[in-house]
Amino acid sequence: MTVTRPMGDRDIAPNEPMFDPRADIAPNDTRRALSLHRELDRTWRDEPGWRGFFTSVNHGTIGLRFMVTSFVFFAIGGVLAMMIRAQLATRQGAFLDVDLYNQIFTMHGSIMMFLFAIPMLEGLALWLLPKILGARDMAFPRLSALGYWCYLFGGTVIVGSLLFGLAPDDGWFMYTPLSDRTHSPGVNADVWLLGVTFVEISAMAAAVEITVTILRCRAAHMPLTRMPLMGWYLLGTAVMMLVGFPPLILGSILLEVQRAFDWPFFDVARGGDPLLWQHLFWLFGHPEVYIIFLPAAGALSTIIPIMARTTILGYGAIVAAIAGLVFLSFGLWVHHMFTVGIPHMALAFFSAASALVAVPTAVQVFAWIGTMWDGKVSFRLPMLYVMGFFITFVMGGLTGVMLAMVPFNWQAHDTAFVTAHLHYVLVGGFVFPMLAAVSYWMPLICGRWRVRGLGESAFWLILIGFHGTFFLMHLTGLLGMPRRIAVYPNNPEWEWLNLISSIFGMIMSAGFALFAFDVIMQWMFGRRSRRNPWRAPTLDWAMPLPAPSYNFASLPGPRQADASALLPLARGEGLLPGAPRGFRETLVVEAGTGRPDHVAVLATSTWLPLLTSAAIGSFFAAMLVGLYWLAPLGMVLTLIAAWKWGAIMGTDRDHAPAAVAPGLTLPLHWQTRNTLARTGAIALLLADGTLYAALLFGVGFLSVVAPAWPAPPSTLVSLPVIAAAALALAAMALGLLASHRAEAQRSHASGAAWAGLGLAAALVALVALAVVGLGLDDPRRHARDALRGAILGFAVFHGVIAAMLALRSLRDAQTGRLSEVRRGAAPIWQMFQAFWLTTTAVSVALIAAQEVL
Amino acid sequence: MGWLWRALAGPILWAAMFSLVYALHGAGCNLGWQGRPVLGTDWHHMAMWLAWGAGLAAHGLILWLLPQGTGRPRQLIVLGAWIGLVSTLVTLFPVIATSTCL
Repeated sequence: MTVTRPMGDRDIAPNEPMFDPRADIAPNDTRRALSLHRELDRTWRDEPGWRGFFTSVNHGTIGLRFMVTSFVFFAIGGVLAMMIRAQLATRQGAFLDVDLYNQIFTMHGSIMMFLFAIPMLEGLALWLLPKILGARDMAFPRLSALGYWCYLFGGTVIVGSLLFGLAPDDGWFMYTPLSDRTHSPGVNADVWLLGVTFVEISAMAAAVEITVTILRCRAAHMPLTRMPLMGWYLLGTAVMMLVGFPPLILGSILLEVQRAFDWPFFDVARGGDPLLWQHLFWLFGHPEVYIIFLPAAGALSTIIPIMARTTILGYGAIVAAIAGLVFLSFGLWVHHMFTVGIPHMALAFFSAASALVAVPTAVQVFAWIGTMWDGKVSFRLPMLYVMGFFITFVMGGLTGVMLAMVPFNWQAHDTAFVTAHLHYVLVGGFVFPMLAAVSYWMPLICGRWRVRGLGESAFWLILIGFHGTFFLMHLTGLLGMPRRIAVYPNNPEWEWLNLISSIFGMIMSAGFALFAFDVIMQWMFGRRSRRNPWRAPTLDWAMPLPAPSYNFASLPGPRQADASALLPLARGEGLLPGAPRGFRETLVVEAGTGRPDHVAVLATSTWLPLLTSAAIGSFFAAMLVGLYWLAPLGMVLTLIAAWKWGAIMGTDRDHAPAAVAPGLTLPLHWQTRNTLARTGAIALLLADGTLYAALLFGVGFLSVVAPAWPAPPSTLVSLPVIAAAALALAAMALGLLASHRAEAQRSHASGAAWAGLGLAAALVALVALAVVGLGLDDPRRHARDALRGAILGFAVFHGVIAAMLALRSLRDAQTGRLSEVRRGAAPIWQMFQAFWLTTTAVSVALIAAQEVL
Repeated sequence: MGWLWRALAGPILWAAMFSLVYALHGAGCNLGWQGRPVLGTDWHHMAMWLAWGAGLAAHGLILWLLPQGTGRPRQLIVLGAWIGLVSTLVTLFPVIATSTCL
């Protein structure tokens, strides 16, 4: 990395380059920047007008939309928070009745978590990652757009339910039995379960996208070990999302199935257990805290060195700390359940893990402090928010260690102390860093500089308002005030504390409003910013302001290694200059080394993500209004949309290799095997496997913990069922063989025959599974039988996927999309076929073991 | 990518051990192992001690096999190995410190 000219009076000294110092790629010839810009913009820009709004798949557009939409939901959640504070300001508050109060505190938590925090981090990642890693777009642009529409539709339904008095009202963690059909007979809980699951499609889409983009779409010869820390943070985040969200998705499905069809997963009388919900929820819920924190920490690790005019201290230690956090955060979930009656030893496991996780967090905090100590801090607006982070988050972390101690936890559980703690952690660990990030990257977003003074005023209002609101809430909690109560007529000692909290809450709200006003003013009226206004070395600033649709006219490489290469990149001296084939192209590298591998042709503007999300939404809508007979139609529509995704991919001819740089030509992605899609399928299967593991956890948990076990005798074991299960497994194995043979024989007529055989085998297996389904005991009888139904449903779902991939391979073969170098969908089909076979075999073994033991 | 898997070996082993011991704890309580004496203790404690001990030994093996040399990949492998060991040591320490199913 060359020394970058400073923002202030001190250079940012390099300690280690972002690129492999041994690698070199000759520069392309210099071209006119304007003509390159026109060529690229023609290919990459969104379509004009409203059509562009609905069809855009560009990461810049989608990422910004995520962020703006999440801030709108944040504002709605903030208004709800103010209503809560108005209600609690006096002990007999009459501002809201209890039913509405229940809806409002539930919606406040749900909105802030599911409609603000997660989408905000997704938006930042989608918008920033290609820029900071040196790519033109995310790995799967259509997936970005699909995620956005699912988020927008799902979020709108959830928030819209408030207007009709149908909003969820069981608390943001939807504990059973309160949320079951008996205790919540309306659709309120269904809105949460279905709406959140719909929104979480966007989280899973983003997780796959982020993982693959970081692993495969970095600049040429940027090894993982040298990439910007933001990459490590977001990689950790994405992997946590892949592993953390499936338990919640599974729990939501099971609870919705219980509510809709009376399958008793959480009903104690029939072998279920409400604690299973708590386990599944917090298996997601605690890692979620770190899922939110890690991107924020990535922003801090990016911004602090720039503001301190130095380089980050302890890159390796921070990466190790991220890895430690990613793993340890999955060993803490039970600390949310310390009071439910868990044996001491189990409490001690999770208490120890909860305390230990403070260590990697502290490593990062000390690295940031050391970085500031080593440099010369310039207290610009982003740095003010960073200081707000330090003050707030460290306090939240310390109360977190207090709550990790079981005896204290028993005292403080479900009191306002916990409310204070979680707000210190989440606002300190996410909101302040995100405000810093917005302040820092706004010039790149809008190309303008902010209006002086407004931002600082907003910062002080937010900081003072926040601590005035929540610091005292620790005391309110220690005085015994429970969470989620609407009035407290017999506790006058809580009143003055609540009144002060409410007053400062209004001040904090004014601060956020001023922040939003400042951003709007900057966007509309700010003076034009000079390029790289912070004099940062990272690649996100190696482009014109505001960032163009294609990011880089030519892609960074070893000779264009930091932001100082802005002009050479604009003149096409980097890799893969322009868009000579009229395709949206970006470079794909080997995951570890960053060695160039091939050129990916990315998707262009299309209606398909919008239509697909509408199809998925129709399924959720049918479930929500209780038209269960109509829900399969939504599934069929979704399958049709999914088929269309595959139909517009692929090519029917071999393309010439792309000239990336002098002496470096690479194939287009159609003509390679290790594609982005393949890496994405691996990431997706990681999430899929986690969901299956969570299902097995449910079986194990209920078997050993739920009181109404052993289950009544089963009639499942019979000759037809055993024969059908064996036939299903044999057909799946044959399908796996066929998927491999179809790829091996792809350039011959026999390839199509193997694909056809694979399709037939999948259909036979599905029919055999249907026969097994007919032999199941009534799933409403006992949780064991319900779990068997869920396991069968899992197998059928994956059978449909495998059948569709087989059909795709067959069509590829029939329509000339395959050749010696073009493999079509077969490599992906093989992975899903193997997954289907493996999980079904494990399921059969599990049920057999239940019967034998 | 090989170095990445080596760097994650310690944390992955911790995750496996944590899951295994937690599962043994639940299964043992359900099957009444705490009431079956063996070698001065009970089967439940014994099973978890053995699992914890085997895990610590495996962590020791990971440390024993650390690569030579310098550079960031090796640094991350070393740090990952120690993170795994310390995590297993601390989070599963309760198997020798408390009762099992109370």
